[in-house]
Amino acid sequence: MSRKSLDRKISRRKFLGTTAASGTALAAMGSGLSRVAFADSHTIRIGFLAPLTGPVAAWGKPGLDGCLIWADWVNAKGGVNIGGQSYNIEFVGYDNEYDAAKARTGATKLIKEDGVKFVMMLGGDTWPGVQKIAEREGMLFSTLLPSDLSPDSTTLVAPCEVHPIYNVTGVEWLAENKPELKTAAMCAQDDALGKPSVATYLAAFEAAGIEMQDEPLFFDPATTDFAPVMTKLLAGNPDILCLDTCYADYVHPLCEQAFQQGYKGQIISCTADFYQKIIEKTSAEFMEGFIFQFPDFDDPALNSEGVNFVNPNEFYAEYAKRYGASEWGAVSWEYASIMDLWADAAGKAGSAEPAAVLEAMKAGGTGKHAFGTADWWGTELFGIDNALVGNWPVVAIEGGKATIKEFRSIPAWWDKHKDLMVKHMTALGQMWNQRG
Amino acid sequence: MPEPVGAMPATGTGGSIGRIAWRLRPVFLFAALAALPYLLSYSQQEIAVLLVINVLLVSSYRLLTLTGEWSLGHVVIMGVGAYASALLAKQAGVPVPLSMLLGGCMAAAVAALLSFPLFRMKGFYFLIGSFAAGEIIRLIWKRFTDPFGGPKGLKRIEPFPDIETGFLSIDFYEPVNYYFLALVVVSASLFVLYRIERSRIGLTFHAIHWQDRLAESVGVDTFRYRTLAFVIASFFAGIAGGLYAHYIGAVNPTRFSVDQMVYVLVWAIVGGTATFHGPILGVVVLTVINEIVLRALGLDTARPLIYGAILILSVLYLPNGLESLGPRLRALWQRRRGGSAAAGSEPA
Repeated sequence: MSRKSLDRKISRRKFLGTTAASGTALAAMGSGLSRVAFADSHTIRIGFLAPLTGPVAAWGKPGLDGCLIWADWVNAKGGVNIGGQSYNIEFVGYDNEYDAAKARTGATKLIKEDGVKFVMMLGGDTWPGVQKIAEREGMLFSTLLPSDLSPDSTTLVAPCEVHPIYNVTGVEWLAENKPELKTAAMCAQDDALGKPSVATYLAAFEAAGIEMQDEPLFFDPATTDFAPVMTKLLAGNPDILCLDTCYADYVHPLCEQAFQQGYKGQIISCTADFYQKIIEKTSAEFMEGFIFQFPDFDDPALNSEGVNFVNPNEFYAEYAKRYGASEWGAVSWEYASIMDLWADAAGKAGSAEPAAVLEAMKAGGTGKHAFGTADWWGTELFGIDNALVGNWPVVAIEGGKATIKEFRSIPAWWDKHKDLMVKHMTALGQMWNQRG
Repeated sequence: MPEPVGAMPATGTGGSIGRIAWRLRPVFLFAALAALPYLLSYSQQEIAVLLVINVLLVSSYRLLTLTGEWSLGHVVIMGVGAYASALLAKQAGVPVPLSMLLGGCMAAAVAALLSFPLFRMKGFYFLIGSFAAGEIIRLIWKRFTDPFGGPKGLKRIEPFPDIETGFLSIDFYEPVNYYFLALVVVSASLFVLYRIERSRIGLTFHAIHWQDRLAESVGVDTFRYRTLAFVIASFFAGIAGGLYAHYIGAVNPTRFSVDQMVYVLVWAIVGGTATFHGPILGVVVLTVINEIVLRALGLDTARPLIYGAILILSVLYLPNGLESLGPRLRALWQRRRGGSAAAGSEPA
């Protein structure tokens, strides 16, 4: 054998051996890391399965940031007392990129490898990927979007945000406080979040005697140029411009367009995430009186007696300190408030096991919602009483700052106008028994 | 162009062992693929399932690019297969394996229909036309809640039926089982795609890509061959869609948006499209980096940034894709060996 061929043989062997060893080591490291990463016996892990990147990240990432503050505070006080034993809380995040397949992967990782006891989700398009796992594993999940609820999924709850039903409170407040506003135009992204919200606003406008100038304008989620959308909306010079539940990436350019096209009327929207940035792009005068549904938690109104969220003003201050006040968004407090409810239920149950916590959470048919005691409700709209519904704040921007105008009762509106809600939800195919 | 066979090891005793090993490559590959899920964690097995499906998606896309046309509608075509298969199983009660096959046929049929307007265009016009055609299909899914489920899409799609016999029980909810199912389907599909590329038809696709006027001058009906490539690629994309739909159990229009198509383009560009294995390399490497390595390093929120950086770097330093890395390393290695051999042979 020549030296040349021997060299080649050894080199190839070496190469193959090194490559195989590296590959195996990498695979083993990947699987090993996740398998050994269980928490110690005095720590309970909670899964956070939401979009942390991409266009919907504004409804995931700030929530995880808020949860980290919640965990630091609770752990600093000795943890959550469950069955006479104190447990620290640790959050395990997984970025599902608002994709059902990635949500499925994330759910299996959180449940089977990280050993979490509870999983918080944004829901929406991602829930169908997780639904079967929730049913098989009996894991307790929460969603911010109750339109995910159905009688098939008994371990899914909506204990904080009853989107989009609370949007009725903003319209109702407008009708009472600005009765001169008589016409509205509305747009929404054409997706699972936009449509039920449109049905809700339609019901609320009809209940308030506000006339829609035209059919709601649905735009594609891939839209980047909002000038023609706004031009069409403003064609009839509506008294109210309704931005439905548009993502932050849409609300900002829509407001910019309304400003640039000279709109001077009332704007109402479900959210106004990072509204300081909208003010920077438009003006404080333009945004004055903008109505939405998510307060800053430094609002003194949150210190009133009925509010159950613990230390809201301090929470906001800590959030602003860690991440910046302009990063505060609709969900910054929501997942943390769900954790308040979970910790309370786990304490009552004396166990962190999902079935026991769920039972304790729903015991008596009422629960301590962030904005006051609320009822477990939803059979007529979702087919199951797994949504916690009570009061919700109406927020207006005044002097460049979000200010709570009033807390209004969602059940009170529902009792008076539920037929309208069911009518519009049915027309848009959004009732639980109409979903594909 | 078809892959050169010149990469096979050369002469000598070592060379003959090398040749045997070279010819046994498929056996080694299948052994590695069979062992893979047992080296992975449960969630990584989930990723492996989706990766295998994406391998078929990007490989079928390459067949279309052989004729020189790059489409922005391939993911939507995958969606056509997914929707068709889901609806056939859910509403018509068609057995899932058959519905997957019919889903592929539906995707091929839609492609055949679209080819009439689309292949009147070439280059950028085809690219834009395919995007528009895809958007029309997506808008139809959104507009018609019955039967497509509107923006929310379809949920609770029938899963692939479990196999239950006296001694054998296979639950396809388990990712490891679905991985093997997908592996079998995708391997068979890749074999067919490979044979097509190596056939006279495949060579004609290449001829149309590089010299379409010349091909026409010798009697090749370029419209018909472009349509054929589009239909075949769409059939396999539809099969990939069926595999996806019956695994995840849900489809919606957003899942098949142009954002997802960008990923397919990135896989193809980073991997390279000159060889059959180029796009496969692209999807495997980028998925492992994005879904396993970066997540394991706790860089969840930085992934889009790193992904973008990898794309830029690969375009700058590997303009012919990852597939060109092997030959470049081999050439570098041979140059160095040549240099050291020359130095060793110099007189003392």
